Amino acid sequence: MLSRTVKNTLFASALRIALFISLAILIFLIGAILLEGFKALSPSFIVSEARDFGAAGGIRYQLLGSLILIIVAAVLVVPFALGTALYRSEYVTSEKLGRCIDLTIFSLNGIPSITYGLFGLIVFVNILGMGVSWLIGSILLAIMILPTVTVSTYQAMRAIPNIYRESALALGLTRAEMVRKVILPQSLHGLVTGLLIGLARAIGETAPIMFVATAFSGVTWPQSIYEPVSTLPTHILALAQQATNPDALRNAWGASLSLIIIVMILSGLAFIARRKLEPQRSM
Amino acid sequence: MNQISLNPRLRTDITFPKWNGLKSYAVGSALFSSTIIMLILGTLLIQSHPALFASDLNLLSEVWDPAGGQYGIIPMIFGTLIIMSIAMIIALPLGVLSAIYIAETRSDRLKHILKSSLEVLAGIPSIVYGLIGVAYLSIWVAEGFELQTGRVILTAGLLLALMILPTIMTLSEDAISSVPRAYRENAASLGLYHYEIIKDIVLPAAKADIAGAALLALGRALGETMAVMLVIGSLDRLPSPLFNVLASSQTITSKLGREIAESAFGSTHFSVLVLMSLILVAFTLILTIAAQKLFTKDPHNA
Repeated sequence: MLSRTVKNTLFASALRIALFISLAILIFLIGAILLEGFKALSPSFIVSEARDFGAAGGIRYQLLGSLILIIVAAVLVVPFALGTALYRSEYVTSEKLGRCIDLTIFSLNGIPSITYGLFGLIVFVNILGMGVSWLIGSILLAIMILPTVTVSTYQAMRAIPNIYRESALALGLTRAEMVRKVILPQSLHGLVTGLLIGLARAIGETAPIMFVATAFSGVTWPQSIYEPVSTLPTHILALAQQATNPDALRNAWGASLSLIIIVMILSGLAFIARRKLEPQRSM
Repeated sequence: MNQISLNPRLRTDITFPKWNGLKSYAVGSALFSSTIIMLILGTLLIQSHPALFASDLNLLSEVWDPAGGQYGIIPMIFGTLIIMSIAMIIALPLGVLSAIYIAETRSDRLKHILKSSLEVLAGIPSIVYGLIGVAYLSIWVAEGFELQTGRVILTAGLLLALMILPTIMTLSEDAISSVPRAYRENAASLGLYHYEIIKDIVLPAAKADIAGAALLALGRALGETMAVMLVIGSLDRLPSPLFNVLASSQTITSKLGREIAESAFGSTHFSVLVLMSLILVAFTLILTIAAQKLFTKDPHNA
């Protein structure tokens, strides 16, 4: 039987060792990404086209492709997320129905990302016969981030004090006017923050888009919605598979760092949006 | 808000045509958002139907050989389970112990630095973890164990542990920090050692939330595709001996990632892949919903 003091000391050292290992892991991960990434990253890397199957040149069209995908996904997701949050917050009166909606939204959030890719392949590429098209990628990413955007908007709407609604109705506004003039402006920060967080996640996704929306080499700016694009994550995937070639590996690190910088910018914007747009209420 | 109907203007609001444009828009989008999940599940179910009802596919065998009509999914399920177990065995104790340290430390600066770097790590796309696995981990494992290839079960398990560590650390830290200070102070004033306060007071109170964190991490590990696919070695066989973690293997997700594009739509091969995806979705949904239930439960009444 160990004495209480000994146990206490052992436990304290176990905590220190665990923290030390975790710190080492954090430093290794961040250090590797920064050191390897900055070896490849340069202004010309960002603006020039990929050559030699990605082993030479840069990431111009991969960057543009990723941006097209998430911008269109944002346009697609906003109306549905806003409407769903509005319904859940302002129109649902039955607790049961509310919980049902929550369950479907949470379940959607729990689906593995590769399943979206498989779903897109079955429905859009094969049944609807759209072929490999960047628009399918945007649709799938929009579905994937729908829960994030909806929940964030809904929480902002729920945070509006009821007295705002009562005052608006007491002033003679109809319910539609109340939603337009009070609820939407007062919950805008939730929508913007949720959207930016969702996009930060969407731009890094590979599995949902790799069968349905992207091609590896020879892709430039798409001429129609029925063409594939090339994206940063799928580019990194292709380069990682030729990891024995040091040039390909270097460019993969460069593309990774560029991708992470975009993710950081989007998350940073989300942070700023939450601060700047959130209305100050003195209740 | 309809109770205060003494105001005549409010009455007109109630008699106002209820089904106006805005409401139909809200109802329409809610209906759409709620049916997407059914649409996805329905599609998977219909497409996996041929595999489910064919009798001669030997789905529960250990042999995967589409050319020979053998579609055993056991190797993939075993691969998924063993990699998840390795990741949890490493990440759970490490994450929870580190979380205790962070939650109990008096240094605000350490806390701040750690929490912000964890947030950065949680935002790193999984394909980048895959690259780290290919460029570092698999090489280290190959050299350390003198293997021909480092793309083995152990590498995939370690990589997955790295990926879920930030999730476990942040969520457990939140859980431990939210245990009221008074609990600790009372325990300390009764003469309990730090170790006893943590073990007997803090951890039991934070139990439900930590379990929720573990389930969430498990769900993420289960559905992870890109990183695992790059370091697993993609071999559709059970390792021999069974728990040889230095053998190449295959998980459900890596199988899907590698083969969906190669199999013809409508073929038996494709249908079996969809069935595997359906199994995966079922597992992750159970984990997500269970985690949600644990988080919503008030830990102080548990």
